Amino acid sequence: MDVKLYALSTCPYCRMTKRFLEEAGVEYELTEVDLLEGADKQAAIDEVKSISGGTSFPVLVAGDEVIVGFNKQRIKDVLGT
Amino acid sequence: MNDRPAPRRRFAEGTTVADLEAYMVPFVRHLGFKLNTEREFAHEVLQSEIEILDRDGDVYCPCRVRTGDPKEDIKIICPCIPFYLEQFNAMRKCWCGLFIREDVLDGAEMMGVIEEPEGPIEVRAAHVEDIAASRGLRVKIGKREIALFRTGNEVFALSNLCRHAFGPLSEGYVEGYEVMCPWHGWRYDIRTGHTDHPNADVQTHPVTVRDGVVFVTVPKPTE
Ligand code: SF4
Ligand code: FES
Repeated sequence: MDVKLYALSTCPYCRMTKRFLEEAGVEYELTEVDLLEGADKQAAIDEVKSISGGTSFPVLVAGDEVIVGFNKQRIKDVLGT
Repeated sequence: MNDRPAPRRRFAEGTTVADLEAYMVPFVRHLGFKLNTEREFAHEVLQSEIEILDRDGDVYCPCRVRTGDPKEDIKIICPCIPFYLEQFNAMRKCWCGLFIREDVLDGAEMMGVIEEPEGPIEVRAAHVEDIAASRGLRVKIGKREIALFRTGNEVFALSNLCRHAFGPLSEGYVEGYEVMCPWHGWRYDIRTGHTDHPNADVQTHPVTVRDGVVFVTVPKPTE
């Protein structure tokens, strides 16, 4: 399953999510939206909006599932870790 | 002559976590929120805000991104609670978890999870003493304008907007269980929202009072 994480470098729940995924040995593709610039940043914001309906972080996409926030239980359920 | 030095501004260079805490906490208290009881976590969030202050020029929310649209971006300057009052009351915390509702004893329970429970939301609206017996009190809950009335120990909440020409019922004249709109005198029963005019009742909301604090229950906002 492809796992993608949209995060901000400043956001505590994003850090917790990263830590959790790393500890669980999950491979994921990370986009730190606030560190992007110009058109790349805008594209990433638009992507996050279309996926989650908002601009709040973290947004974890695993297959068809979208999880906003660091919801440990849901992440475990979805990833089967 | 007043030669006291000008007080240091709280968001000047060298701003500390303690500065931000001292600035924000007294305000959010008025909204029914407090600093997360997980202090280390709360301070981590505030530390992020200081980094953002240095980078972006103000204390933008660490968990949301500036879109570049000024109208949107002003809504994520911390504390953003007034812009998301209903949502945060439903979640019982602000988005980042920096602030939690006053009635949450242990902020650790709800760390991380960002989900709104279903159903109506109880929102802290005022202190009983803030409501004069002879006049109502206007409060805003999300986009709703609500008039609170008190007779003795009973508190009632109804839509603030008169159905005639939108006069503010909170400024009306109260007699017993009746309020008279201050603009043209339409009468409403503060218990039921009923008026004598046909098809012009106003919406009422359930109220609970706990420890002198008035909570109003509003339907879940439909975004
Ligand atoms: S969600 Fe919390 S931390 Fe973020 S801006 Fe709002 S009040 Fe501040
Ligand atoms: S607006 Fe209330 S009576 Fe006219």
